[in-house]
Amino acid sequence: MSSAAASAEIADSSIASRVRAEIERAIQRNIKGLQYLTSSPPTLGLTPKDVIYSRGTLKLYHYRPIADEVYRVPVLLTMSLVSKAYILDLAPGQSFVEYLLKQGFDVYMIDWGVPRPEDSRLRLEDYVLDFMPDCISRILADSAEPDISIIGYCMGGVLALLYAALCLDGPLRNLVCLTTPVNYDGMGLMRQWSDRRYFDVDRIVDTLGNVPPEMLSASFEMLRPVARVVTQIRLWDNMWNDEFVKSYRMFDRWAADQIPFPGECFRQTTKELMWENKLYKKELVLGGRLVDIGKIRVSLLTVMAEHDHIVPYEAAKDLVGMVSSPDKREIVLKGGHVSLVAGPNASRRLWPELDRWLSERST
Amino acid sequence: MADRRNSTFDPLAAWRNWLSDAEARWNSFFNQAMGTDQFSRVISRFTELSLNMQKRMAEAMGQYFSALNLPTRTDVISLGERLSSIEERLTSIEASLARLAGAGEGPDGASIRIQRPPRTKQPLSEREGSR
Repeated sequence: MSSAAASAEIADSSIASRVRAEIERAIQRNIKGLQYLTSSPPTLGLTPKDVIYSRGTLKLYHYRPIADEVYRVPVLLTMSLVSKAYILDLAPGQSFVEYLLKQGFDVYMIDWGVPRPEDSRLRLEDYVLDFMPDCISRILADSAEPDISIIGYCMGGVLALLYAALCLDGPLRNLVCLTTPVNYDGMGLMRQWSDRRYFDVDRIVDTLGNVPPEMLSASFEMLRPVARVVTQIRLWDNMWNDEFVKSYRMFDRWAADQIPFPGECFRQTTKELMWENKLYKKELVLGGRLVDIGKIRVSLLTVMAEHDHIVPYEAAKDLVGMVSSPDKREIVLKGGHVSLVAGPNASRRLWPELDRWLSERST
Repeated sequence: MADRRNSTFDPLAAWRNWLSDAEARWNSFFNQAMGTDQFSRVISRFTELSLNMQKRMAEAMGQYFSALNLPTRTDVISLGERLSSIEERLTSIEASLARLAGAGEGPDGASIRIQRPPRTKQPLSEREGSR
C-alpha cells in the first residue's frame, strides 16, 4: 500500500471515529440532560469546620486541620460582602479551603452571612474596625499565636486592606489580596453605570435599605451580556462530560446565590470609593482615622486575573506600588474573576503560587 | 500532503471556535453601547421608576397593615434592630465572662478543644535545605 493511500485510510477512519464519538455524545447528552433536569443542585461548602464565634449574621469558622503538622501562622479568609463564602470551598477536590488544609495551613474564615433588613445601617467602619478585629482576636486566642495572615478576595480584599492600613501595629503578618480594587477609576462599566449624574444611590438605599441581590446580579451579568446564553449552549454541548456539568452546576449555583449589599455600606462604597476614589487618593476616613495604604508594611501578595471583567487589571494594578512593604509581590494569572480562585484553573495556577508564597512566610 | 489529509476539517471544533469569537464580539459590542451616557441615563430612569413603584407599594401596604392592626415591615425591622442590640450586649457580656474565666476557656465560652496538630510545619525550601 502506498503512503498516500495509507494516509487516506487513516483520515477516513479518523472521520468515522469522530462521527461515532459525536453520535455517542449526542446520546449521552439526552440521557445526562434528563438526569441534569431531575437531580438536585450540588451541596457545597462541605469541608468539616466548627463555628468558633458568631455575632448577628457573622460566623467565624475554623476548618478542621487535615495535615499532621501545620504552619505556625493561622490564615484568615475574608470574603466579599456581596457573595457567599462557599466559592472558596466548593466540592472536594475543587475547594481552595481543602487545598490550604492539605498543604498544612490552619484555616479560619469570616462568613458575613446574609444581611438582615436591620443590617442596612452597617458601614465599612463596622466591618473594618469592629467585626474584623473582633474575629482576629478570637482567632489569636483560639490558635494561641500572636500573628495572622489574611487572604481577602474581591471586596474581602478591600476590607483586609483597610484593616491592614488602620491596624498598623496589629497582629497582621502577611496580606494576600485577590482581585482587589484600589483605583476605582479603573472599574470600567461599573463606574460608568454608577456615574453620580445619573445614579441616585441615596434614593436606592433610602427606599430599599439593603441593595437587593437581583440588582447586583443584573449589573454583573450586564458586564458580559451574552455570557449566559453562550454558557447554556456550552452546557448543552458538554452535557456528556460529567466533569464539565459538575463544575457548571457548582458555579451556576453560587452565581445564582448572591446576597444583599448592606445599604449604608453600599452608599459609602459608591460615594467614597467609586465616585471620589478616596482609597486611591488616600483621603478615605473611617472612624475618624485616615486610611493610608501607603503605610502598610506587612508582606503583601496581590493577584489579578488577566480576563477579570468585574475588577479589571486597571483597578487593581496600583496596589503593589502603593504599599510600603519591603516584601511585596504582584502576580497576574490567566483566568477571570471567579476562575482565578475556584475551579480547575485555580487549582493549577493560583493555589500552588499562593502556597509557595505563603508557606515561606508562615513559620 | 499527508499532513493536510490527516488534519481533516472538524465542523464542530470550528463551530466552538466561532461561538467563542462571537461571544467576545457581541460582548464587546454591547459593552460599547452600554458604556455611553445615554445608557446610564436610561438605566437610571428605569431604576427611578421601579423605586417609585416599590415606595408607593410599601406605603400602601403599611397603611393596609396598620388598618388591620398588624405589624408593618418597619415594625418588624425595628424589632429586629432591638434584638440585634440585645445580641450585641450578650456577646460583649459573654466575652467579658470568657476573659474572667481565663485562658482555659474557648473564645465563645466553650471549653471543648479538639486535638490540633503541632504548629511545626516548615516550608518545602527549608525542609530541602535541612536535608
